[in-house]
Amino acid sequence: MSITKQPLGHHAATSWRVVDIVIAAVIAVCSGVVFWAWNSTHHIFDALFLAFPPATSLIAGMWLFPAVLGALIIRKPGAAIFCELVAAAVSMLMGSEFGWTVLAAGLVQGLGAEIVFAAFRYRKFNLPVALLAGAGAGLFGGANTAYVFRSFPEYTQGMLVVYVVCMGISGIVIAGLLSFLATRALAKTGALSALGSRKAASEPIFG
Amino acid sequence: MATASMLQGDRDPFVRTDGQKARAVGVSVSARDWGWRHAGRTDPALWGLDLEIRAGERVLLAGPSGAGKSSLLYALAGLLAEDDESSASGELLLDGNPAGHCRGLVGLMQQDPETQVIQARVGDDVAFGAENLSVPPEEIQERIIAALQAVGLDIPLDHPTAALSGGQKQRLALAGILAMGPGLVLLDEPTANLDPEGVLEVRDAVIRALDATGATLLIVEHRLEAWAHHMDRVIVLEPGGGIAHQGTPSELFAPGPVREELISAGVWVPGYTPVFEARIDGAQEGPVLLESRELAVARKAGGRVAAEGLEIAVRGGQAWCIRGANGAGKSTFALTLGGLLPKAAGTVLATPELASVPEADPYRWRATELVGRIGSVFQEPEHQFVTNSVAEELAFGPTHAVKPGTRQPLFTHGQIQERVQELLVRLRLAHLADANPFTLSGGEKRRLSVATVLASGPQVLILDEPTFGQDANTWRELALLLREELQRGTAIIAVTHDAEFARALGSREFTVEAAAHGGKGPGKRAGLLEEDSNGAASFLGSVNPLAKLAAVVLATLPLIASMDWLSSGLVVLATLLALPLAGMSIPRFLARGWPLMMAALFAAWGTTLVGRDSGAVLVHLGIFDITEGSLAAGAATGLRAFAVAIPAVLLLFTTDPTDLANSLAQKARLPHRFVLGALAGMRLLGLMIEEWTTLGMARRARGVGSRGSALARLRANLGQVFALLVQAIRRGSRLAVTMEAKGFGTTERTWLRKSVFGFKDAAVAASGLLIGLGAACAAIAVGTWNLVWG
Repeated sequence: MSITKQPLGHHAATSWRVVDIVIAAVIAVCSGVVFWAWNSTHHIFDALFLAFPPATSLIAGMWLFPAVLGALIIRKPGAAIFCELVAAAVSMLMGSEFGWTVLAAGLVQGLGAEIVFAAFRYRKFNLPVALLAGAGAGLFGGANTAYVFRSFPEYTQGMLVVYVVCMGISGIVIAGLLSFLATRALAKTGALSALGSRKAASEPIFG
Repeated sequence: MATASMLQGDRDPFVRTDGQKARAVGVSVSARDWGWRHAGRTDPALWGLDLEIRAGERVLLAGPSGAGKSSLLYALAGLLAEDDESSASGELLLDGNPAGHCRGLVGLMQQDPETQVIQARVGDDVAFGAENLSVPPEEIQERIIAALQAVGLDIPLDHPTAALSGGQKQRLALAGILAMGPGLVLLDEPTANLDPEGVLEVRDAVIRALDATGATLLIVEHRLEAWAHHMDRVIVLEPGGGIAHQGTPSELFAPGPVREELISAGVWVPGYTPVFEARIDGAQEGPVLLESRELAVARKAGGRVAAEGLEIAVRGGQAWCIRGANGAGKSTFALTLGGLLPKAAGTVLATPELASVPEADPYRWRATELVGRIGSVFQEPEHQFVTNSVAEELAFGPTHAVKPGTRQPLFTHGQIQERVQELLVRLRLAHLADANPFTLSGGEKRRLSVATVLASGPQVLILDEPTFGQDANTWRELALLLREELQRGTAIIAVTHDAEFARALGSREFTVEAAAHGGKGPGKRAGLLEEDSNGAASFLGSVNPLAKLAAVVLATLPLIASMDWLSSGLVVLATLLALPLAGMSIPRFLARGWPLMMAALFAAWGTTLVGRDSGAVLVHLGIFDITEGSLAAGAATGLRAFAVAIPAVLLLFTTDPTDLANSLAQKARLPHRFVLGALAGMRLLGLMIEEWTTLGMARRARGVGSRGSALARLRANLGQVFALLVQAIRRGSRLAVTMEAKGFGTTERTWLRKSVFGFKDAAVAASGLLIGLGAACAAIAVGTWNLVWG
């Protein structure tokens, strides 16, 4: 009849508690709100990329940050996928121009980040790992859009490659770097006190 | 739909039927030398606590903040888990068993009404805890009705929870606790966020529920007036460990040293209000600074008018208290006066005494011009924090303030330092100068938020419910501070329910009445997470969401594979033909679908412009040619984008997310902890969108502008995202506590609403498959099939 008590040891570090699940969901929903706010403004930037359309993916990292941010804050296996997927579900709920395929895209992008955190066995959440995870999300997401969904049939092979690379770079900067900085700043506010990342602000950046 | 008053089971639904003895009686509590140390802290929150509470006793827990009251409640609710960093000592027992091993025995309610509600509909929310305890669904039905009756909520079970008032949400949370049949009810400042009516409403519901169930009660409260008479005993905890005093309310609150000690600790003992000499109103009155004429206000630009015909003329040195019923538009009025919301009609006018520039409408000022003249203090202090330390926070306003109409700074560096030092001392925050504002205590945050606004020296100060949830000490300090400001000739406008506070400021009263067609009263606003009522009543509304999801995916799958106009066109046609099945008219479809159409047109245009040219040239556009070939490719791209997007409109229009979650967990066998956790998070979506808007205004009031260079705007936006994240995570933490206290997180649970997948559902999924296959076959037969990976 016991609840809430978590078994000790490594299992406790990888299994999800209720608070992990709910905060992950809340981060994802919050990201959905940011997408919504972003949706109404980012077309301003589109004009900047008219000269070379494939470079628009330089700001596509905006859609990838829930994966990295969620994993850095929650620090549990599957956090990147869960957060990105729920964020995608929220944007679908708010009326996405991509229909259900936004869910598939979210899954693939989340997977790109998840693989990186898994490769470090969910033990390292420093800056290099965050940047790699951002790159992973960007490359997976870019490849998915360019080669699986073929959203740009008019692009040449060269343009598609540029598109994917730009999305990777965007993932590194927006999803990776900004999420890393945000996590440390959040830890300083005390908001993460119930989570595995509560000491994120005092951890070494490269350690 | 059944309401709480219509049905009543024959037997007492609070009696458990799972083999254990009925818990219609209370549970006893005993602590023996008990203590708790939180992770990352050196000092324990509680130490050496010895405590005995009889079954059925009603106990009020008081004491200064930091005495560990909340920690004790969490421990009793089994929410404190020991790990390598936090630890317990001694024993904490419920009916002789260790706390934390007593599932369903304890119910806990916290202060923030928004995070006490978990589900989107009233009935589901009451059922949540009982489902987690695996109570059989038929019995949950009975318990829901009895519990809603016990708390006096007479509303339909399918009523959206988002439409309830704060007091109703707290009563709903209590009903959910009662439906679990607990023997111990724990309330952690259950009425701190409520107005006076809400306080009594919740108090009465609690007392009635306890009378019905005989459960033991342990409540933590600052404002004791409403509760003291109903308590058997008051226990005052000593910071750092043990019990300082205990006794009946009349013993402890009688005039004497204990009462004085409680007062000095900031406890609102019954009958106490901090006393001030009456302020002689009008003595230091200055010229009119701000006035409104024939003003109509609305929460959103172009939105529904909340109140109209508002006329006020505010003089320097005057205090105004804005009153009115909940939802009458008091805050909206204050925000409009403060230059944070555009007016709906009429005028808001800053006189030349306040603004020496031609522009007299505060809403049209830049944020940096606003901070030096009108200061707005929001109800939630954290909404207005924009830096990483208390000292920076105080310096922020004056540093950014500019002389009206110019870009010259209003204060010199020396003046800023002086103001910051003065405010740090005046508000007893000097020892916290380097602390992160978010880590302060509730009272410190409140003092800081007022100080940050005062720092840039505004002549008009507007405050929204400044005394909500504050202890008596913070209350007194706030009143003194504002009286000083009045003395200096500052005008103060406060939206407040707190009559004592209004008296302390010697304020005049301004009553706002909701506009004739009704304000945003409770019960009108539905949450984002309900399907359309037409959609719900339609054929598709009765189909299992999983079947609809499958149909949508299957129907559009071929479109992912092929870029041709025929298969896309057929799917669009099939979707349009299915509109009646969803109870959707063409105009409603267009209302929801137009952004998708725009997106499709954009996609089509892009391809037409840069697509591979072939056939006759139709138009020359600079370096691009539009040809027959590129036009066809563009049409196919646009149609495909549209066809992929619109079937989801039918799905969303007819599907309740709660039903979708139920079927994902019950039929698709996804882990229910994750599905229900995500659902609970999504319920906060509407709230977060509101919070985003509020943050924008709160930050403008601090001088963070929405205008300026691209870099400045980007920084302002990132800051706002960060602020939203902090609020979201705080809400998430509280929501998680609520869910866990309701037994959520175990592997087994029952479901009040069983998800059914029958013949009809299979047929819908199959028609999706047929549409997809048909579209693909038609395209192949006609020869338009055009594999994108080719």
